[in-house]
Amino acid sequence: MSLSHFIAQWQLPEQGRYLYATLVVLGASVLILGLAPVLQSLPPRGRRALIVTVTFLAGLFFAAEFFLPIDWTAVFPKDDPTRNFLTPAIQPAQNVLQIIGALALGLGTYGLVRLHLRNVVQKRTQWGYSVVLLVAFVTMATFSILNTLSEKQLVTKTPLLETVFSILFDYTLVQLDAAMFSLIAFYIFSAAYRAFRIRSVEASILMFTAMVVMIGVVPLGAYISYTVLGLPQGPAPENADWWTRFLHSAGLPTIAHWILTALNAPAQRAIEFGVGIGGLAMAIRLWLSLERGVT
Amino acid sequence: MQTQTIWQRMLSIDRRLLYLLLFVNIVVFLLAPIRMPASISPPVQKFYDEIEKLKPGDLVMISSNWSASTLAENQPQLEAVLIHLMRKKARFTFISIEAQSRDISYRLARRVTETTGYEYGKDWAHFGFVPNLTVAIKGMVNDLPSTIKQDVRGTPISQLEVVKGVKSLGQYKMIIDVTPSGTVPIWISYSPKGIPILYCPTSVMAAEAYTYLDSGQIKGMITGAKGAQEYEQLLHIKGLGAPFANAISFSHVLIILFILLGNLAMFMNRVQARREA
Amino acid sequence: MDWILQFLPLGTERISIWIGVLCTLAIYSLLYRENPIYRFFEHMYIGLAAGYSLGPLFVDIIYRYWIEPIWVQGYWAWAFVVPYGMYLYFIFSERYGWLSRIVIGTLIGASAGLFFQEFSSRYLPQLNSTLQKPLWVSSANPDVTGWDVFVNFLFIAILLSVLTYFTFSYEQRGGVKRVATVGRWFLMIGLGAIFGNTVMARMALLIGRIYYILSDWLMLPLGGGGG
Repeated sequence: MSLSHFIAQWQLPEQGRYLYATLVVLGASVLILGLAPVLQSLPPRGRRALIVTVTFLAGLFFAAEFFLPIDWTAVFPKDDPTRNFLTPAIQPAQNVLQIIGALALGLGTYGLVRLHLRNVVQKRTQWGYSVVLLVAFVTMATFSILNTLSEKQLVTKTPLLETVFSILFDYTLVQLDAAMFSLIAFYIFSAAYRAFRIRSVEASILMFTAMVVMIGVVPLGAYISYTVLGLPQGPAPENADWWTRFLHSAGLPTIAHWILTALNAPAQRAIEFGVGIGGLAMAIRLWLSLERGVT
Repeated sequence: MQTQTIWQRMLSIDRRLLYLLLFVNIVVFLLAPIRMPASISPPVQKFYDEIEKLKPGDLVMISSNWSASTLAENQPQLEAVLIHLMRKKARFTFISIEAQSRDISYRLARRVTETTGYEYGKDWAHFGFVPNLTVAIKGMVNDLPSTIKQDVRGTPISQLEVVKGVKSLGQYKMIIDVTPSGTVPIWISYSPKGIPILYCPTSVMAAEAYTYLDSGQIKGMITGAKGAQEYEQLLHIKGLGAPFANAISFSHVLIILFILLGNLAMFMNRVQARREA
Repeated sequence: MDWILQFLPLGTERISIWIGVLCTLAIYSLLYRENPIYRFFEHMYIGLAAGYSLGPLFVDIIYRYWIEPIWVQGYWAWAFVVPYGMYLYFIFSERYGWLSRIVIGTLIGASAGLFFQEFSSRYLPQLNSTLQKPLWVSSANPDVTGWDVFVNFLFIAILLSVLTYFTFSYEQRGGVKRVATVGRWFLMIGLGAIFGNTVMARMALLIGRIYYILSDWLMLPLGGGGG
């Protein structure tokens, strides 16, 4: 029997489910959080052993699910011949990891709010900006939660809620986000002028490639090649001579595409292979807790 | 005080003047009535041909992971692709790994589908936001309804007509990733083999993806806003990509010109210094 | 006159657009110099972004994967997950800080375990594709031309030379060093392509903003465009 079927059997009775559920969650919270002082009594070695074991088991589950052959019917009877006995447990594992992932993202928000609350309480320099941040945070959090709940029909969607959320989201957050990231264009232009110096073979190759790509991939490249220079567009006819073939492939868009596929792709693949091998080594080190300072 | 030469003055130009120049350049070429058709690049053509192969009713998963920070690059792509999917009468579902992209893609899709009478729940749906894409894909391959559980409107997946009878991601006909971050390797790694993956990255990430195009791990690619312009041209529509095209072209000319000017100024400055020495 | 009436913030939609432009210009004021208006909008931006994320986090994840399964469907075993995840928040405590590493370990262990599948499906097909490139013209492959064969040889030569450049296990000397140098040059082609595309992406983002100001706010007819 798979884990999800097993868990599915542990269901609270329908009558008084809300009450029972609340009690169970309270109980679970007390139990798990109450475990903290007990775990605290572990010596440093025991603490590390606990972390190493949890890390190893989490990795082992996914590694084993991937590596194990699917045909273990003799040992673990299963309903689907295309999956091994661990595959059905992917479901609960994914749910758990999504929840933990969400809590981890919430951690950043909590840290940010904590820092700015402290700024305000202790009246640190420029604490006024922290007030702005906190007011924006509380307002947006309220309307964001209400809006998402209203989409699920858990609270009523009023026109006021829709208008305020739209102003906060579409016309403030989205605009600020887009403006903030578009600033980089100015800096990249200034940096290109002031710092991009052709002093070596490497820098020359880099700049030449960048220029061909920058002009070749945009409509201007096509305009220069096919309208101004009058080069023929598209593939050369079947039995064309070498000069016609050359002319057909001399357009800037064709050259830029050739650079990207024939010269850039293998260089990117080499980087990929490097990343892949490095990633595999890192994954094994992390899984076995050989990487210091992480777990 | 020694007077500065023209080359020295060029090298110490106020950066705000450069910013202004770029701004003016873009304003001028957004307003200028110049029409320059794009040359369709092969990855965009492949993207188009791949969608052309879809049959009415085929199910497509759209992974929309962009937020407002890359609005100008990803919005034209997603709009053009949605229009093509609707022309082919394909059904589609969304999933997002970024909180903001959930609302942006949901609102955008609602606006675009309204114009063609595509009905939410029947023809398309949004599965909402998941922070961990890797396990979400593994979960969807294994059992889609119990991984997603409910859509953004709180409807249980089992009651959504668009995915009626769908047990696994393996039953989808195509995956399209519209993204400004490294999500396509995750789709390549964990989605079922044999489902074509199409890629709409921001231009920053496009060069790196040519290795996947070469190996066939992705079947087509629309590179940023300029790729969207090419796609709009293939679809014969006027979207957001087209008005951006001239300004992109001429901002590139400006940058190239200024890289060359910067180098010339440095070179001349050195020559002059050597002569004086 | 009509244009001015349409331009002024005299309705919800126009007010909204004016707010959007105000936000954009406030952020751009940084380009002139650091100033209080920019700082105000910067903090507002961070506050809004952090606040906004709570909606999807709470409703799409916590409600969907935790509250509904327990309170609505009655699967009580899920009750333990959030308290366990809450161990992450011990990170702010000096005394109990180490407890957060148990949950971090779960996340790291899972990612590490998942990487084996990624290695096999992401990198091995690329190796496979490289090894399958035809290196001679033959009747078995009538579509492969002499030029294709040349490009394939070039592809493999670039791949190997860049990989040689990345090999740091031993000191590169003599022929190996020369190959590595060529590898570095080819790598520069890859980086040049990335640079060219990066410029294009960044320009597009700025163009998108200026388009918003010209088209949505000033309602100017924008001329150009594609074919």
